[in-house]
Amino acid sequence: MATITENEALRRSSLQYLWMHNRDWTQMAEEGEPQIIESGRGVRVTDAEGRSWIDVNGGYNSVNVGYGRTEIGEVAYEQMVNLHYFPQGTTTVPMANLAAKLAEITPGSLSRVFPVSGGSEANETALKIARAYHKRRGEPGRYKVISRIGSYHGMTAGVMWLGGSPYQPRHDYEPIYPGMVHAPQPNPYRCAQGGETPSECAVRCAEAVERLIKFHGPQTVAAVIAEPVAIPQGAVVPGAEYFPMLRQICDKYGVLLIADEVICGFGRTGRMFASEHWDVVPDMMTVAKGIVSSYLPMAAAIVKQEVADAFAGERNLLRHVFTTAGHPVAAAASLKNIEIIENEDLVANSAQVGAYFKEQLEGLAIDHPLVGDVRGLGLLLAVELVSDRDTKAGFAADAKAPERLNEKFKRHGLIFRINSNILNIGPPLCITRDEVDEIVHAIDLSLWELEGEMGISRMT
Amino acid sequence: MATIVEDNAAGDAGAARQAALDHLWMHNADWVTMAEEGGPTIMRKGDGVRVTDAEGETWIDAHGGYASVNAGYGRTEIADAMLEQMRKLTYFPQGTTTVPLIRLVEKVGELAPGNLERVWPVSGGSEANETAVKVARAYHKRRGDNGRYKIISRRGSYHGATAGVMWMGASSGMSDYEPAMPGMLYAPQPNLYRCEFNSRTPEECAERSAKAIEDLILLHHPDTVAAVIGEPVASGLAPPAVEYWQMVRDICDRYGALLIADEVVTGFGRTGRMFAVEHYGVVPDIMSVAKGITSSYLPLAATIVATDVADAFAGEDNIFRQALTFGGHPVTAAVAIKNIEIIEREGLVDNAARMGAYFLERLHELKAQHPSIGDVRGIGLLLGVELVSDRKTKAPFDENLQVSNRLTRKMHDRGIIMRFGADKVTLGPPLCITADDIDQIVGAMDSAIGELEAELALV
Repeated sequence: MATITENEALRRSSLQYLWMHNRDWTQMAEEGEPQIIESGRGVRVTDAEGRSWIDVNGGYNSVNVGYGRTEIGEVAYEQMVNLHYFPQGTTTVPMANLAAKLAEITPGSLSRVFPVSGGSEANETALKIARAYHKRRGEPGRYKVISRIGSYHGMTAGVMWLGGSPYQPRHDYEPIYPGMVHAPQPNPYRCAQGGETPSECAVRCAEAVERLIKFHGPQTVAAVIAEPVAIPQGAVVPGAEYFPMLRQICDKYGVLLIADEVICGFGRTGRMFASEHWDVVPDMMTVAKGIVSSYLPMAAAIVKQEVADAFAGERNLLRHVFTTAGHPVAAAASLKNIEIIENEDLVANSAQVGAYFKEQLEGLAIDHPLVGDVRGLGLLLAVELVSDRDTKAGFAADAKAPERLNEKFKRHGLIFRINSNILNIGPPLCITRDEVDEIVHAIDLSLWELEGEMGISRMT
Repeated sequence: MATIVEDNAAGDAGAARQAALDHLWMHNADWVTMAEEGGPTIMRKGDGVRVTDAEGETWIDAHGGYASVNAGYGRTEIADAMLEQMRKLTYFPQGTTTVPLIRLVEKVGELAPGNLERVWPVSGGSEANETAVKVARAYHKRRGDNGRYKIISRRGSYHGATAGVMWMGASSGMSDYEPAMPGMLYAPQPNLYRCEFNSRTPEECAERSAKAIEDLILLHHPDTVAAVIGEPVASGLAPPAVEYWQMVRDICDRYGALLIADEVVTGFGRTGRMFAVEHYGVVPDIMSVAKGITSSYLPLAATIVATDVADAFAGEDNIFRQALTFGGHPVTAAVAIKNIEIIEREGLVDNAARMGAYFLERLHELKAQHPSIGDVRGIGLLLGVELVSDRKTKAPFDENLQVSNRLTRKMHDRGIIMRFGADKVTLGPPLCITADDIDQIVGAMDSAIGELEAELALV
């Protein structure tokens, strides 16, 4: 472990040189941050001061196999010693094998893999394929993309205007990309279409997509993009009708359906891919995060054979290149990661422990008036806090409820991600029931403290 | 059902090839044509400037993995650094941070010229340029200049493949991805060989091309322009005369536009200086780097921002809102640190300058012997050759002759990886290349171009 002075020097250096996510260096300096993480094993990481934490956030829901899998490092090492990189056009054995493996485990005829290095690039690639696909078929007017309010699909200009919400402001980066059409989110807890049951909400929100297609004219719409379980508003699970209806609507109007499985993929929701919950095969599926459990940067757009076929033949090429796409070292790490997920049956563990976790969280709702809703699938869960269950009202900004709660979680050794009153839960899929109990106990205590401070009495 | 292939010494490259044909979407190649041609090549091993495929055939990589493999292939010590970090911590998202990332940004902040000090790490050149453009637009908003959103780039430049950057610069084949991003303005490329202003000297071309940027800003009004972006030396072209970047810097200052230097290709020694802007004594407001920062050992890139620009984002109310899962990945950072250490320890920047000068001299000799070579140019180990059917008119070859494909194949057959496109080729070999390697490449070019000229009956 480094000495205190060394840590201080590191911290100063990071405050001077590093631009971190959604933080600023003056505020961090005042708060004695940033925290420096040094090692990890399973669901736990240890910081430079030697303190251990449970990573409830799972590195933005990405570290599916958990931390400290040395065997992934070893296969990456072996590949790097042999051949660290060669651009795509030629290829390498691990990349060819990874493509074949993805084709094998994804549903239906999803079988042509365009590898990239992150979720944003994967979704950018999917949209480029969608627009170019319609051009190959003689429908050059189809360029609009329908996404859902409250969804998130990445940070580059082609994808950051998809989804969005007042909590994720984008106006800093205007002008907006043309052709962005926004549909309602089928969030049963706060249905924008007034649906009173998950089913009603699902049907109305799917119908809203159809209305948008008709309003804009089907001949102008290229694709609909959606996360099977949407994350920014906290693991929103649509009613069962939603995705089958979306599939039908897309087919009816010649629109491609893109499933953004960047977070949902590779067991996160208790199935290998979340689209399987509804037996829906999208025309394209994007994956990242869990494909390699963030051991290295890897992502992909996976395309149905019949869509990819439009690009076969020299004259039909898709012109699209990223230098490090299809990186052989990241491919080798991904293959080992998927092998671990399969060998240890982490998908089943995600379903079972996820169900247990959700049950325990629902138990909290009995005692704590602040808990408005508990939702999610597998190990993609969320708790939405409210100041009033009847009105579902949030908290006044100056109450700083999320910030205060986060402080309490920290004291209990939990790394959490809270935004706009939503506790996001996406730990490694190897989590055990004991670890879940530890987390739920800490949430229980933290809520109790917060309610005490706010003068809210426990439910009777 | 897909087949998974074991990669052992006797590994079945044929099965991997079939898996790739069935399931992999490769760059600028389609699986039908590839299958007909017996492709794709399965690369298996790399060492220095050379790569070897699964059948044991070896090539010199003059293409250098899109001019990215600066330190060369087969650096076991980089793999050691990777494994060491993987054993400690494989990943943790930014917001907190990790030791290798801190060490990397410290190093990059130190290396980058002037007050370029604040580093936003990402995973590739496209993300780095996207981030640069977002910083530029948000910066003006922080200062109350809400109308500044347009970006001036140069025709023939390249800045990436995602929607915010692929419309900057311009190349053919973009119509697939319409609609274009709003606010894209295009200035001329200071390309002496085909200067839009018919200039006779590099200085004339530089001044006129820079002046065109000023004209564009005035036409659109300075209040609408956020930034000018350009590669200090565009891949495969001659470096513009020194006046160019000095004038562009002045113009940006005069009208309040930020200057973004895209050093994705040119950074980390490629042009014989650590960063190519150093040739011009100019400090941009934002610099994007990728490729050479890790020599493609792993995906890593960064947007490096001048302190006075970054300071506009200090304070809770001014936060720059962006997060990328893999941004600042600790394992890729550890690899970048080791890669930069090798570049410095082995004097690869100087080697790029020396070997680049030698390489360019040899290319000039080739040009003297081959009428189909219209121009040779470049700086350091970022060189370009342009072929023409007629030197006087500079007319390209008839597309049906497939000159680019034929030459790429002829070089391939002669043990050199070199990718011709539109009658041009960019050379960006590893910076550890030797004079002997260069002689071998030039000898192969001599023979391949000679054969092509004979086939085309050019004398």
